[in-house]
Amino acid sequence: MASNENRVSASVRSDFGKGAARRTRRQGLTPAVLYGHGTDPVHLSLPTHETWLILKDNPNALLTLDIDGKTELALPRDIQRHPVRWTLEHVDLILVRKGEKVVVDVPVHVEGETASGTSYTLEASSISLEAEATHLPEYIEVSVEGLEDGDIIRAGALTLPEGSALETDPETAVVVVYVPREEPSEDEAEDTEASAAEAPAEASAESSDES
Amino acid sequence: MLIPRRTKHRKQHHPKRSGVAKGGTTIAFGDYGIQALEPAYVTNRQIEAARIAMTRHIKRGGKVWINIFPDRPLTKKPAETRMGSGKGSPEWWVANVKPGRIMFELAGVNEELAREALRRAQHKLPMKTRFVRREGGDV
Repeated sequence: MASNENRVSASVRSDFGKGAARRTRRQGLTPAVLYGHGTDPVHLSLPTHETWLILKDNPNALLTLDIDGKTELALPRDIQRHPVRWTLEHVDLILVRKGEKVVVDVPVHVEGETASGTSYTLEASSISLEAEATHLPEYIEVSVEGLEDGDIIRAGALTLPEGSALETDPETAVVVVYVPREEPSEDEAEDTEASAAEAPAEASAESSDES
Repeated sequence: MLIPRRTKHRKQHHPKRSGVAKGGTTIAFGDYGIQALEPAYVTNRQIEAARIAMTRHIKRGGKVWINIFPDRPLTKKPAETRMGSGKGSPEWWVANVKPGRIMFELAGVNEELAREALRRAQHKLPMKTRFVRREGGDV
């Protein structure tokens, strides 16, 4: 479950644009914006390292923001990361209240092993849930123990934590079990490639003989 | 070998190699992947070599996704040809890969096997790459 103790001290930003955002990042801060409940957006800067530690494993972590002495609860709506360095570039935060229900995407974790000779694919790596903002699950666990070829686990069959409701279509396939196709070994592959190469050569030779 | 079925023009300008990937920077389908750390033109032969290297290593049980497609033709003038007389003939099909791009994904195998399979595939690629997994990000 998401912890309530993710306290982050934020400060209000007055400079905007890419130049100001880069200056903010150079000072070890991450530009962020806080909005929701019909309020005007507030531009903030968050301490990068603390925010990164909180959001590293749980992108739905509930943050308790300390904005110039005022406390607000917020959930990350969108997290922008650098594609190579994975550092935080910008965070969109949405205001929430205690007890308020929100819709979030929760990752699916697969447990167990399927029947011998079968494998599985995770068709939906996350599902949408409606849950209390202060009690959001970090992930949903799915067991594939002993499942046979052709078995499908649908979103409606998942065991959800108490107080959560499914927002995704219950018919959505989450895990599909299948029998994997064997890749031909190197020798077999070379044989088939060689026979394929010979076939057109023979065909062309025959056509030239006829003419 | 991957190649476009039909193209509007036979010859194109060279694609830009600056910047970082704008999309496809997170694992979308599988559990493990190869992420580019440098820009490069990846030819269809290199993509095929990497695919064969990883599928032959995992043998059975895994599923492979190729997230890049070689849709840009590169041309070359014949050797010992004087300059001029127009642009050379198309020689390669390449994917313009920017840093951060997840090029291959793999699922359905344990991490040890995935690491080895992807390591073999990494050797077939023309740039620095790294192994990534769905959870936890960095290795």
